[in-house]
Amino acid sequence: MPQKKQPDIIHRWKDNPIITIPDLPFPASDICNAGAVKFRGIYLLLITIENLSGQKSLYIAKSKDGLCFEVDKKPFMEPSEDEPYNKYEKISVMDARITPFEGAYFVTYVAESSYGHRIGLARTDDFKSITRIGLISAVDTKGGTLFSEKINNRYARLERPWSGERIWISYSDDLVYWGGSKVLISPRPGHWDADRVGDAAPPVRLKDGRWLVIYYGIKDTSSGPLFRIGALFLDPDDPAKVIARTDVPILSPREDYERIGDIPNLIFSCGALLEQDKFLLYYGAAKSCICLGTTTIDKIEKECAGSKWGF
Amino acid sequence: MVKRFVDREEVLSRFKDNPIITLHDIPFRCNTVFNGAVIKKGDEYFHLLRVEAQQGYSVFALARSKDGLHFTVEDKPVMTPVRSGPFAKYETRGIEDPRITTIDGVYYVMYTAYSKYGTRIALAETDDFHQYKRIALVSEPGNKDGILFPEKINGEYVRLDRPIGKEVGSMWVSYSKNLVDWGKSELLMTPRPGMWDSFRIGASIPPIKTEYGWFEIYHGVKMTVAGPIYRIGTVLLDLEQPHKVVARCNKPVLSPQEDYERIGDVGNVVFACGAVVEDTGEIKVYYGAADTCICVATANFDNLVKATLNRDRGNS
Repeated sequence: MPQKKQPDIIHRWKDNPIITIPDLPFPASDICNAGAVKFRGIYLLLITIENLSGQKSLYIAKSKDGLCFEVDKKPFMEPSEDEPYNKYEKISVMDARITPFEGAYFVTYVAESSYGHRIGLARTDDFKSITRIGLISAVDTKGGTLFSEKINNRYARLERPWSGERIWISYSDDLVYWGGSKVLISPRPGHWDADRVGDAAPPVRLKDGRWLVIYYGIKDTSSGPLFRIGALFLDPDDPAKVIARTDVPILSPREDYERIGDIPNLIFSCGALLEQDKFLLYYGAAKSCICLGTTTIDKIEKECAGSKWGF
Repeated sequence: MVKRFVDREEVLSRFKDNPIITLHDIPFRCNTVFNGAVIKKGDEYFHLLRVEAQQGYSVFALARSKDGLHFTVEDKPVMTPVRSGPFAKYETRGIEDPRITTIDGVYYVMYTAYSKYGTRIALAETDDFHQYKRIALVSEPGNKDGILFPEKINGEYVRLDRPIGKEVGSMWVSYSKNLVDWGKSELLMTPRPGMWDSFRIGASIPPIKTEYGWFEIYHGVKMTVAGPIYRIGTVLLDLEQPHKVVARCNKPVLSPQEDYERIGDVGNVVFACGAVVEDTGEIKVYYGAADTCICVATANFDNLVKATLNRDRGNS
């Protein structure tokens, strides 16, 4: 029997989802998404979990094989009670992305309060304690992924300001004061990413120097948003330049666990790992579970090569 | 004859010959003139005007005056959206709402750069009001009403700005070491439900230092079924920590009432962009009316500051 042609180049792990609400050692309302890193030989996820009263915090889950995870009983990072953070984190700290940087790990996260969303930045060396560096964006900016190397001697990040729902790039000398913002990509009318785009996993530096960025694209339908995942390749020397962008999504909601949940038809990634040529994408589905998808850089590359549209 | 209602509680008094600059004072063809920033240099007033071209985007023109009331507008715009370089992409739909702040003798113009990517705060400098050197785009999109404080505070440049959070426009304060990279943003104040500034607020003029704190004029918006009403209010900010409010007026100091404020491209708007405090103790507040003309209103500056301190009682 001929094998059925798969519509997505990301291959879903057969035992998806890998973490569900009943797997948690405490009651929770939702599991949203996870940042991912390989830390001292262990796969470590930083998961956004919403408690029953509606606030989100970040929990660590660990695994030896990247498939079977154990979730900590206590949060790794909760909304702060200290100034100046408490005012801006009152509702949630969420959507953590982990960027290894010169031996340390930077965590960008989204701080939510009644005033809106902002990007927060913190640093950990051991995933036991975490130190906040600052709230580094204006309000209603989400996303927030830090590059793992300096660009022309400056830190760089991607972000998704509310206005226009595009992906932007900004720079900083000290991680506190940011500037030089430029637009990177915009939604493409008529496409799967017609209405909104945003950065998902932190940029991955490839062997040839290019940066691979996993992003999410949204098409608004009459029954709500349809979240899908796409890819971008950025110039090795100037990541403000897009070299290639997938014409089609690399992953779309299809399975029940992606279609059914508190937010149906939502797949959202905050973490990707590159192991030799194997590309691992940890993604949240339907705001209810964490899943794993795998592919290769070659496959993503081929998908981009067919791209006919502008950036 | 219907007797015109006059609100005697308003602290600001309109100049009798308002509006002071209209479309007819502009030597070149345009749609409207409004929202101008004013600096007094020696005995001359320099007024950087937002002029909306008939194409629909805005440019800046310069007007000069000896008395701060009667202005002569120069023949050509002094600053227009650039068409090449890094700013071009973000100014395709025009440049708007300039505010001029003097720091250490340099005139800095913060303005709104508008493009399909949204509105951003941009910064330029000038020493003669004719040549403008763009320094940087200093915010992400979705931000406007950026205004520099006239001095560094604790070693940092400080600005007011107005990002939109959860669809609500509030006033924030941001900090910088070099005027280019900005951070440490703090919420300053939010719209007040049920009041005249319930929908949206934003900074209007460069803050003025007083013994009671930084005096700031802001615009407050109330949304109605027929659209927004823009009014002018005042607030005092902590001298050392300018993201903290010392006192905020409960009543506006100026509301649209005259025909030239109620009737125009955008009716029911009074929107200040500049003010000059005279040696006599008088403050001249320059404001755009109905997005169609420019007006001036005056008050005794001390009274205006004290009215802010006394909140509602002081306004009567």
